[in-house]
Amino acid sequence: MDSVIALVGKDFVLSAADTANARSVIVMKDDVDKILELDSHKTLAMGGEPGDFVQFTEYIQKNLHLYEFQTGLQLSTHAVANFIRGELARLIREAPVLTNLLLGGYDSVSGPSLYYIDYLGTLEKLDYTAQGYASFFILGTLDRYYQKDITLDEGIELMKRCIHQLSKRFVINQKNFIFKVVDKDGVRQINFE
Amino acid sequence: MGDSILTYNGGCVLAMAGKNCVAIAADRRFGVQQTTIGTDTTRIFKINDRLMLGLTGLRTDVITLYHRFVQRLNLYRLREEREIKPASFSNMVASTLYSRRFAPYFVEPVVAGLTEKGEPYLCAQDLLGAPLFAQDFVVSGTCAESLYGTSETFWKPDLSPAELFEVTSQSLLAAVDRDCLSGWGAVVHIITLDGIETKFLKARMD
Amino acid sequence: MIKLDVFQPTFGLDKEEENVVVPKEELYCSTPLAPSLRWNVLSNNAPKDLTKFHHGTTTLSFVFSEGIVAAVDSRASMGQYIGSGSVKKVIEINKYLLGTMAGGAADCTFWERYLGMRCRLFELKNKERISVAAASKILCNTVYQYKGMGLSMGTMIMGWDKKGPHIYYVDSEGTRLKGQKFSVGSGSTHALGVLDQGYQWNMSVEEACELGRRSIYHATHRDAFSGGYINVYYIGPDGWKFISHEDSGFDKHYQYATEKATQQQQQMSIS
Repeated sequence: MDSVIALVGKDFVLSAADTANARSVIVMKDDVDKILELDSHKTLAMGGEPGDFVQFTEYIQKNLHLYEFQTGLQLSTHAVANFIRGELARLIREAPVLTNLLLGGYDSVSGPSLYYIDYLGTLEKLDYTAQGYASFFILGTLDRYYQKDITLDEGIELMKRCIHQLSKRFVINQKNFIFKVVDKDGVRQINFE
Repeated sequence: MGDSILTYNGGCVLAMAGKNCVAIAADRRFGVQQTTIGTDTTRIFKINDRLMLGLTGLRTDVITLYHRFVQRLNLYRLREEREIKPASFSNMVASTLYSRRFAPYFVEPVVAGLTEKGEPYLCAQDLLGAPLFAQDFVVSGTCAESLYGTSETFWKPDLSPAELFEVTSQSLLAAVDRDCLSGWGAVVHIITLDGIETKFLKARMD
Repeated sequence: MIKLDVFQPTFGLDKEEENVVVPKEELYCSTPLAPSLRWNVLSNNAPKDLTKFHHGTTTLSFVFSEGIVAAVDSRASMGQYIGSGSVKKVIEINKYLLGTMAGGAADCTFWERYLGMRCRLFELKNKERISVAAASKILCNTVYQYKGMGLSMGTMIMGWDKKGPHIYYVDSEGTRLKGQKFSVGSGSTHALGVLDQGYQWNMSVEEACELGRRSIYHATHRDAFSGGYINVYYIGPDGWKFISHEDSGFDKHYQYATEKATQQQQQMSIS
């Protein structure tokens, strides 16, 4: 039920996620932050089984911190993407965790990048995408209006468009969304409306 | 629809033999059941200058297996100080797959390359590593049946690299256009003794 | 003996064949009779089998200031196999009425052809054209009689009558909705993502047709079970008009891709 959207712009990655935690027909909490700051220049937007994704993404985050402490190195977005998918691919045959992720990152060398990772351990580098039911409703919108190298303002406009479309057609009314952008200055949350 | 794990992500691979050359081609779709997520996916991997591996099936296993082969090949090179032969590599693939006999990787590999003598080598396998050798062509993926049909029609013996490229491309494109889960672009690699030439095809995007 | 109908409620036709009441109109026009219980006993999943021939489809239609635009794809899939890439999914019921096809191909073709006959009979009887509301209600009532027996159709009945342009969505569940904007089929959500965002009431016929066309194109791109050609129809006060038949996956894709690239270059040069 979680809606997760992300897109790559000229020099940033913008992610959005709904903020609802639903249990059967009840909304338990409506300000959940489903975009984790993995490190200074990486965001991990998540959806799936509520317990699973929190546990799993924290496990990933702590391991990255450990790696940083041990080696003094910060992994590239590409490396982190492969680490995450490796863990998910291992877990799918042991104890599956239902987590669908969108990893956004900014590297000083290669610039912004976005990775689609699903609970099976599938990894795909993309310019823009969505996960969950949201993908059915807004991939068309994204295809229509997305352009390569868009500015942050244009990116936010496009994101608003997607969420508007989602609120128009998706039976489940997701009222609130959280937005995070990662660029050369690091991760920051964006608020509007 | 989408009830089999092997068709969950879609995609197909075709490999054909020519005279002292081999072609291996694949579509570029990455989908999740009916939704197309990506259209620039790689499912053919270079093993060495005369050998390539195509993997269709569940995308996560395609990636996992590719990484495993890279690791095993690196160890092989360190120990043997030479490049692997196509037949040995096929056995490596087969044994890797059979090592997971009771929890298989959901992939169908295609090995295509040239032997030391410059003769074509083609080998397709099922998800447990049962090999199938052919002198003409091998196929795998969601439109395997259609690929057999088109390849059977277009293929003939002793094709030159240029002819082989044409035959492989046409066979792949025609088959892919009859399959919902494959397509969205295609890539063809022509392997000759001079090296590998890669061409991307302009294909239907629906 | 345990009878199957204890577990599986059937259609009230389970006793004796003599008691089966056949609607009078159905005798004349040879619509299929409701299958008897025997059907179910012989082959427990028979009605289910009938729905196996599903269309992956994207169809849409909307009302705007100048009339109605209907746009559809042309792919017919049997499982993952593409049975045909050039199916006509707009059914021309008469000069003023169009229907779209989604779901079972046979169900849609048959019942919309049947609707054409009923509309013609109405005209002969009443010396005036049937309204879109009445036509869609006939279809809705007819398929509702067969509810639960495996019919599969999602259709839009649209046309221009005395009261102007109208669209009704009718499906085999018995739903009948009047509306301004509909999209039906496996690619409908992708199409709506483009249609909703580009829709305005005031548009020229050309703009509206292009919006419909673009929406279908984006659906064929993302939905594996939609594709082929895009057929566009326009309905004005003088009835429907066939507008265009264009290749979606190749011609339109590369045309739109080129347009996007040039647009981007222009923006770059401005900024």
